[in-house]
Amino acid sequence: MRALRIGLLTEGGYPYVSGDAGLWCDRLVRGLGQHEFDIYALSCGPHQETAGWVALPPQVGGVRTAPLWTAEDDGVAYGRRARRRFTECYGELAAALCESGGADAPGSTEGHGSEGASASQADRFASALYGLADLARDEGGLVGALRSEGAVRALERACRAPGALRAAREARVPDLLAVAAHLERALRPLSLDWYADGGGDAPRGLGSVDLCHAASGGVAALPGLLAGHFFDVPLLVTEYGVRLRSHYLGSGTPDAPSGESAPAVRALLAAFHGRLAAEMYRQAACVTPGNAHARRWQERCGADRAKLRTVHPGMESDRFAEVGDGPDGADPHTLVWVGRVEPAKDLVSLLHAFAEIRRTEPRARLRIIGAPAGPEGRAYLGHCRMLAAQLFPDEAESPHAVGDNPVSFEEIGGPEVPTLAEAYAAGAVVVLSSVVEGFPVGLAEAMFCGRATVSTDVGAVVEVIGGTGLVVPPRNPRALAETCGALLRDPERRARLGAAARARALELFTVEQNVAAFHGIYLEIVSRSPVRRFALDDAGDPLPFAVPAEAWLPGRWTGLGARVTATRRGPGWAAGPPVRGTSPAVPVPHCSSASPPASSVSSVSPVSPVPTVSAGKGAR
Amino acid sequence: MSGLGELDRPGTPESGGAWDARSGEWAAGEGGAGSGAHAGVRAGAGAGPRGQERSGADAPADAPGPAGPATSRRGAVDPVKTLMHRHRELCERAVDPLEIAAGLEAHGVTDRTAARFRHRDVFSLAEEMYARVPRDGDPPPRPVPAALPRPRPDRALLTLLPGILCAATIGGLRLTQGRTRLLVVAVGVLAVLLALRATLRRGPLSPRAGNRPGPHRTGAWTCWLLAYAALGDGLLHAAVTGGPDGPPTGTADGAWPLAATPLLTLALACAPAAWCARLLAVRAGRRLDTSRGLEEFAASVRPLLLGTFTLYLCALAVLTALCAAALGEPAGYAATLTLGALLLLARLLTVHGFPHAPAAVLTAAAAAEVLAVATVFAGRLPGCGFLAVPVETLVAARGPAAVPVLICATAALTLLLHAARTLTRASAHARTAAPC
Repeated sequence: MRALRIGLLTEGGYPYVSGDAGLWCDRLVRGLGQHEFDIYALSCGPHQETAGWVALPPQVGGVRTAPLWTAEDDGVAYGRRARRRFTECYGELAAALCESGGADAPGSTEGHGSEGASASQADRFASALYGLADLARDEGGLVGALRSEGAVRALERACRAPGALRAAREARVPDLLAVAAHLERALRPLSLDWYADGGGDAPRGLGSVDLCHAASGGVAALPGLLAGHFFDVPLLVTEYGVRLRSHYLGSGTPDAPSGESAPAVRALLAAFHGRLAAEMYRQAACVTPGNAHARRWQERCGADRAKLRTVHPGMESDRFAEVGDGPDGADPHTLVWVGRVEPAKDLVSLLHAFAEIRRTEPRARLRIIGAPAGPEGRAYLGHCRMLAAQLFPDEAESPHAVGDNPVSFEEIGGPEVPTLAEAYAAGAVVVLSSVVEGFPVGLAEAMFCGRATVSTDVGAVVEVIGGTGLVVPPRNPRALAETCGALLRDPERRARLGAAARARALELFTVEQNVAAFHGIYLEIVSRSPVRRFALDDAGDPLPFAVPAEAWLPGRWTGLGARVTATRRGPGWAAGPPVRGTSPAVPVPHCSSASPPASSVSSVSPVSPVPTVSAGKGAR
Repeated sequence: MSGLGELDRPGTPESGGAWDARSGEWAAGEGGAGSGAHAGVRAGAGAGPRGQERSGADAPADAPGPAGPATSRRGAVDPVKTLMHRHRELCERAVDPLEIAAGLEAHGVTDRTAARFRHRDVFSLAEEMYARVPRDGDPPPRPVPAALPRPRPDRALLTLLPGILCAATIGGLRLTQGRTRLLVVAVGVLAVLLALRATLRRGPLSPRAGNRPGPHRTGAWTCWLLAYAALGDGLLHAAVTGGPDGPPTGTADGAWPLAATPLLTLALACAPAAWCARLLAVRAGRRLDTSRGLEEFAASVRPLLLGTFTLYLCALAVLTALCAAALGEPAGYAATLTLGALLLLARLLTVHGFPHAPAAVLTAAAAAEVLAVATVFAGRLPGCGFLAVPVETLVAARGPAAVPVLICATAALTLLLHAARTLTRASAHARTAAPC
């Protein structure tokens, strides 16, 4: 099979050492050795660039990086025409952001009128965005233009226009400046030199890849959008956490950039990120959320359901294999909680539940294994220790033994629990008591270890556990206690649930399934929307008819070459295999003139109707 | 909910049901939804059809719930209103329903919680909450603008350094002779240049982050302008009268005299220049916060810019007078003031992110001075006498200082007009935000 060339777009992650989500990308690239990867990375700060890259496997063909935290003005000053073009595009963009009615997501169910309005709004945003991209590609100098007074003026005009958002109408000069600065940062990928089609001496760009895979939403997908706009390269977007959601969560916090906390700024920036996400979902050939929660957000932001394909994150299952397959050597009265200690994990509720369990199961023990996260986590851990000491007095087996508390707080790496797998193996039941949870990694690890689990119904817990564990409502210590107690009393059921959980985890959450799913998606996307390229002859001129019309139709190309010669013998210059102007991307059927017409009729396959009919007529 | 202040204090549970303040509140919220069923049943029924094993979750349904009293206590309250009260800060701050949805989810509200409020999912619950937030009141108070960094005394001393070093060099120049003088001059010039560089690299005269001048380097042309201010008049005078007969001696008298006053004045003027730049930045930043529109801002900054410029010229005039008195040289106000004005405007424009125009104007001014001297020398060639006519006429009429005054005044005026247009733009005074 021919190798695909995949452009992997990352933002502040792979291949930088300190990048988040780097592990996932690394596994993906290493797992798909049969394809070639070009990595296009946006770095998020000078610390990342100094920290360097991780070791790259040989299938990585090239790495191109660009800083997102700084932009060098290339010094191009626009002439009158270019300036007018910029003002028009930027004004359109600003108007699309300020339009009211955009406060609702495009997916809101308001009836046809609103849907039509939101569609036209999305079109307006998209045309403005691509207009700016075209301008940057033709003229350069977009960084300076986005910082210029013209941009701020266009924003002010849009904000003061009738029908603008209520919050935008109250925008003052510092707000306008903050929005313009943020937009300039967010639109930096438009000015990158990545959009070359690979011809000539220019370094290989996004035009030469078969498929763009954005490792996250938001700004990272912007180069993919432009590659689709310039070269019709299909785009695959993977979001393990929805960028728009993290933008909302980040924008209200005190550590948001100064000046971006005013309502007008937040409204406009939220509109920008919302429109960008909607456009991204609209243009993507496939969107892969990591869990049902991300999927709901994407649907809400306008992603077409037909494009959504949930691909669960993969985890290393090897290190849990020994515990998962081995005999259950756990103390049958021990409950285990594993994770990072922070208030969202609601250990208080767990301790209260354990107090209830102890009434019916006096031999029960609870081991809380994990390190605190940050100063807040440390304070919370201290609070939980105090609560445990108050709830449970130390106990001893005999009047002469030294007592111990039934609740123990431990950390992984200590003498009792040297590894994560042994932490899970120590418990008969693994408990998860969180009130807030994204994708519960700890729960999936417990499933790999074949443990029976009791978890609260938060985040993606139900989706992960399926029917292989017990689920209780969050903040309900009584329900948690009853459920844990029931499991402690029933070893058979524990074993059954544990085995089912391990089977489910091996089916859904391994690295292999993750890589295989992406491999399948790659092939499917490329077969559905192959990149159209023109074949060039030796002199670099386009070669007419080198790619037959059938190549543009979907379907298989069996016997295609023979069929072409059946209807008309190709000219001599089209006889040999054409020289590609770009790297080989689409298997171009060669117009070979070797096969005689008679044999071609028999080899006609019912693929595309038009040539088949003509060939049949010729035979008659 | 994540704040440490809200953590419940250690203690044994008093009752069988509401184990802590929050679970009691939640139980009440559920009861308040008008469902008639209490927590265990609701949650069990909500997730039941998914086919999970849930034995324990059903247990509370059997036991008469302790949520009963809480329900009767707070049963009449609109549940969404309670929720809005609990998240009122989020609701007031939110700019669209999705922000409320994200915030609610971060606080643990799920679709199943939303079902208790009779909503399909968190999004529709957030939409109701967003629609119900009263918005006709006063707009929320504007966030206090971030204070500018306080003036730093070490930076202020730094701006004085070029002047002090320049004074020391001139003193050394006057007190030494021969080779030592050459050495003193070389070391002094180097020291002053380094001090100037340090002054322009940090503090109010440094280009702000993101406004790096890039390819527009003006250092060499600035040095040429300064050198001309010191030696140019002497050279031009000597050239017109048939000289020069030898290199400058470094003294105010002689065939090719050195004018030390402009150099010392301009070196000392680094300090007022830095203060004026800071004054402009601080005042403009304040106007930025109070302006409603770009036009209003431009109108209010224009007098500020002109005022600051005038202030600097006054300081420069005073310094010139003092230096001339101290060095015992003629003051030459016009040349010093025009050159100082030109350099200040060029620096201000570069600092605020417009390096193109200053680079072009400084280059043009320096080139014009070179040309002026060159034409005088070229006029000595046979048949080229006409080349020297304009400069010689000017020198004859107004003296050799008229040439740089004319050039610098033209250049400074050009830059002033440019600055009046560009430095009154809001984008010139934007505070650069943190990257990423």
